[in-house]
Amino acid sequence: MNALTTRPELRKKIVLLSITVIIEGVAFIFFWSVLRKTAATHMQASSASRTSDALPNLLSDLNLILPMSLLAILLGIVCAFYLEEWLSSTSWIRRFIESQVAFLTGIPSLLYGLLAVIIFFGYAGVFKATRTTFQHNTALFYTEMLIFILMVIPVAIKATQEALRSVETPIRESTYALGANRWQVLTQQVIPRAFPQMLAGGCRAMSQAFAAAALLTGIHIWSHTTGLRGLPDRFMLFLGGALLLSNASSFLTEIYVPASTQQN
Amino acid sequence: MNYSIETENLSLWYGDFQALIDVNSKIPDGQITSLIGPSGCGKTTLLRCFNRVNERYGNVTTKGKIEVLGKNIYDADVSLPELRKAVGMVFQRPNPLPISVYENVLFGLRIHSPIRSMTRTESDQIVEEALTSVFLWEDLKDNLKMRATSLQLEQQQKLCIARLLPLKPKIILMDEPCSALDAKGTGAVEELMEILAGTYTFLIVTHNMAQARRVSKECIFMFLGELIEHRETQALFETPEHSKTADYVQMRYG
Ligand SMILES: Nc1ncnc2c1ncn2[C@@H]1O[C@H](COP(=O)(O)OP(=O)(O)O)[C@@H](O)[C@H]1O
Ligand SMILES: [Mg+2]
Repeated sequence: MNALTTRPELRKKIVLLSITVIIEGVAFIFFWSVLRKTAATHMQASSASRTSDALPNLLSDLNLILPMSLLAILLGIVCAFYLEEWLSSTSWIRRFIESQVAFLTGIPSLLYGLLAVIIFFGYAGVFKATRTTFQHNTALFYTEMLIFILMVIPVAIKATQEALRSVETPIRESTYALGANRWQVLTQQVIPRAFPQMLAGGCRAMSQAFAAAALLTGIHIWSHTTGLRGLPDRFMLFLGGALLLSNASSFLTEIYVPASTQQN
Repeated sequence: MNYSIETENLSLWYGDFQALIDVNSKIPDGQITSLIGPSGCGKTTLLRCFNRVNERYGNVTTKGKIEVLGKNIYDADVSLPELRKAVGMVFQRPNPLPISVYENVLFGLRIHSPIRSMTRTESDQIVEEALTSVFLWEDLKDNLKMRATSLQLEQQQKLCIARLLPLKPKIILMDEPCSALDAKGTGAVEELMEILAGTYTFLIVTHNMAQARRVSKECIFMFLGELIEHRETQALFETPEHSKTADYVQMRYG
């Protein structure tokens, strides 16, 4: 049965996590300042834009990324529940989706980056002639949609399925044998027990989303003709989000020990 | 003699593998019947038919009739929760839920009754009664908040029996309930079964023939999905009618 690690173990893990976060933080801030300096020099050269634009832009992107990724993850979770708890393992719908998920999660994220670049520049090229922000953002929006579907949802599906599977058969069987229906088994036993792992999976998927967002912002930096307008900040924000979430995910996975390694 | 469970030409397939072949059996009320046979002969499968938990595997086909407490359990009006309330099950590995001892005992009741239908005093009393019946009350009364999975295995298995009792089952199915326990734990669980046998009908699967001889009044021998012989335990062991039974009870199979 899943169980929290012992207190001293937990303390050790928290200390380790803090050290990791501090080291990453320092490296992060250093990188950020370098990027800002570079951007400032560039901006002086182009002088087409002002840094005061930075904040509104940053927020509007967050407005896009957060709900989108949460929605994608939710969709992934619902999908995983359907596959794992409702369809039998022999159902061909399940087999088909699982093979697709395995395929999509198996692709290194670098390839997704390349894909994003190709799609984005494809669109950007089409719209470049008009040079309106609306169309540029539309292109960005669709690119992101695609990245999410291809990248975030499968990760969320896989992570949730793994979390559900980690709740061992004996727990389910004994609950069913006591006369519980599927809904009771899920809400009273499976979900509470799978929750930390599902959360970890959610963080992992979000981390992917932020990485993708950082990547797209990076593309912005290279493609925007108008200047750099707070883009380094955004880039770093997303990168930071991705890093933090990935830390959170590994932490959440580690504080739970699977039954097989636990002795009675 | 009244029977708690009767099967007629019961056959069961996992996909296209037939695990039970025309099983006809009658399990008498209020005593312990044991189910023996070499491993893989379908004992667990047969046991799991009686509370219909086999259906959880997607690829199971069942044919024939199963009557539990006089009712065909495949009738359309049979409610699975009610069936499983009347037919409790204890598993090979003790599997209390990873919650407190107290909540484990009440879990079944909570599933079957509306939220907050019990007062604290009522539930305290139910827990005390159930734990007393399995001789755990003295050991655990000060540790009711303890996580059930951290008990000793013997206590866990007794708790798994205790959590059935508040549901007032008629039949208790046990699949090798002692195979994870040491000799002392086995003795304690056997003793418990003997004490409870008047009140409940027990059907136990065991690979331990000495255990079958010790606890059960009747004994069923199965071989490769077929019910070979069903007689009084002593007769089955001492004067088996079938050569396969004789071979098995004289330990010619593993
Ligand atoms: N879920 C299952 N799917 C397919 N075959 C199974 C399944 N469960 C059991 N079997 C097969 O059915 C036969 C009987 O199994 P089981 O009832 O577990 O035997 P026993 O409990 O007597 O050892 C075995 O050959 C086993 O491999
Ligand atoms: Mg078995």
